[in-house]
Amino acid sequence: MTIVTGKAEARRRLQPGTAGTLRKIWEHRADYAYVLPAIAVMLIVIAYPIYYTVELSFFKTPPGLQLRDKTFIGFDNYTTILTSQVFWKVTWNTLIWTLGSTFISFVLGFATALALHRDFIGRGVLRAILIIPWVISAVAASYIWKWIYHSDFGIIGAVLVGLGLADRPPNFIDNVSTVLPSLIVVNIWREFPFAMIMMMAGLQTVPDQLLRAAKVDGASAWQRFWHVTFPHLRNVSVVTMLLLAVANFNSFIIPWIMTGGGPSNASHIWITHIYELAFGRQRWGVASAYSVLLFLTLMTLGYFYVRALSGNERKEGSA
Amino acid sequence: MSTIAETASRAPTRRRMRVDGWRWAGRIFLVFMLLYTALPMIWMLITSIKSGFAATQFPPQWWPDEPTLASYQKLLDPQNSVGQDFLRFFWNSLFVSTVTTILSVIVAVPAAYAFSRFSFPGRNFLFFAVLLRNMFPAVIFLVPLFILMRAIGLVNTHGSLILTYLTFGLPLAIWLLKGFYDNIPVQLEQAARIDGATRFQAFIMIVMPLSTPGIIATAIYSFIGAWNEYIYAYTFLSKNEQLTLPVGIQRFFSENTTDFPGLMAASFMMSVPVVVLFLVLQRYFVRALTEGAVKH
Repeated sequence: MTIVTGKAEARRRLQPGTAGTLRKIWEHRADYAYVLPAIAVMLIVIAYPIYYTVELSFFKTPPGLQLRDKTFIGFDNYTTILTSQVFWKVTWNTLIWTLGSTFISFVLGFATALALHRDFIGRGVLRAILIIPWVISAVAASYIWKWIYHSDFGIIGAVLVGLGLADRPPNFIDNVSTVLPSLIVVNIWREFPFAMIMMMAGLQTVPDQLLRAAKVDGASAWQRFWHVTFPHLRNVSVVTMLLLAVANFNSFIIPWIMTGGGPSNASHIWITHIYELAFGRQRWGVASAYSVLLFLTLMTLGYFYVRALSGNERKEGSA
Repeated sequence: MSTIAETASRAPTRRRMRVDGWRWAGRIFLVFMLLYTALPMIWMLITSIKSGFAATQFPPQWWPDEPTLASYQKLLDPQNSVGQDFLRFFWNSLFVSTVTTILSVIVAVPAAYAFSRFSFPGRNFLFFAVLLRNMFPAVIFLVPLFILMRAIGLVNTHGSLILTYLTFGLPLAIWLLKGFYDNIPVQLEQAARIDGATRFQAFIMIVMPLSTPGIIATAIYSFIGAWNEYIYAYTFLSKNEQLTLPVGIQRFFSENTTDFPGLMAASFMMSVPVVVLFLVLQRYFVRALTEGAVKH
């Protein structure tokens, strides 16, 4: 158990090669005890499921999870998916859902963080209120908004009619063309506070002296933002957007509770579609193949995520 | 400081106008965001104190003619079946979330400490592997986990949920805590060890107290995550008496689709514990994000 010091660094450099690695592992054997519980849980709940999903994606499976009767069919599940109409429809929905939610949440969260950066009376209270949607359960949020969008008694419809903008309450979530944007509004409601917290934390790291210096030099508010604040926040922004993108790509509860993917697949995204294939229609093989495709997509996103994170670390190391 | 203030006050009027413009834009924007955030929640509260009849009027009653707490009474009354169910779901959620929280702190603290302090082979790989868990949606793990849980006899037990929830709390927990440990000078521990403390004692007496805000943040995060989780609970549990709140409420109201005041009251009460917890402890959370995640 060595605390990383210069000496340990030097000792490590003396022992290159495989023997050195093994010896290093042996020397550090006690260190692993600290991470072992975390790794063990992860292995059970992650590694095994991933392996199993990949295996299942090459099999035709009978319904009801009687998996002993599965038959090997190679890549058939994948061809079934990629040639189906629904796949492309759902992919398009997923893209709109993920990019729309991520981008708008980020912009709203960032703008709120900037507006809250200056101290004023009631700032703490306001910040607390703005964070609440992020904390409450997505199930509760879905029901609240479902009630707000209700086609007969919904408040938005009533307001629109009251203002004379509509003859009768519009049907937001049973309409193919409005359902996805309506759900994105709900999702943004729940997610912009996360971007806000992250960017508020980020704003605290922007050195005040630089901003004051820029002000003395005659930079306008916009110039100060664009040339001083924003470059400082680039890393936080990237991490925040990636985290949001992943969360949105993986979201399930809002579309599932509010519409169940309907009407006519207009609000199905990958996740809800996979869930329906697996647990609704019991097509485990196809659902697994879908999951593998999803997995590959996420690995690509994950690559950028790790790069953004380790980029930060490298920067910190050199500072 | 004073010179800066003077410079600012002597700045040409036109520029001050522009700065004021931004400030006004900021205020208007904040009012807009406040309305966007708060109105749905206010409407939830107003609906929850209506009668079933008053909720289904058009145009809606902006404020109920006869406010009533009937929905809350019904949900909290252990005498009738609705109240019994709701209280049981509430208790189940509380139990699962609390156990998950305690376990994730116990597992995350040593792991984060090791990731921060020791350099063992594979450290970076393991660290990123832990973080990558965050990338994958529940659905990928659902089928195999269901089969796994069935094989080890955990389906329809709260154990299946606790084990699963642990894994999603862990990545962020470890990440946040690692940031904290990175900021605690190693010298403090070394000093303690020179004074004769074992590494474990140094950890318990020096490092743990200093990282309390991080541990609190981790605990809040795990608790909220477990309290709000839906998809695993929806899949792993089928017996009514074991359901947690999100699934229980969904089951209940898919049978009673028109009881909107009841649904809103239930949504409100489901939100209260996590919102209160978060508001009380939020400064730790924001601080943990600043120190753990952002400066990282």
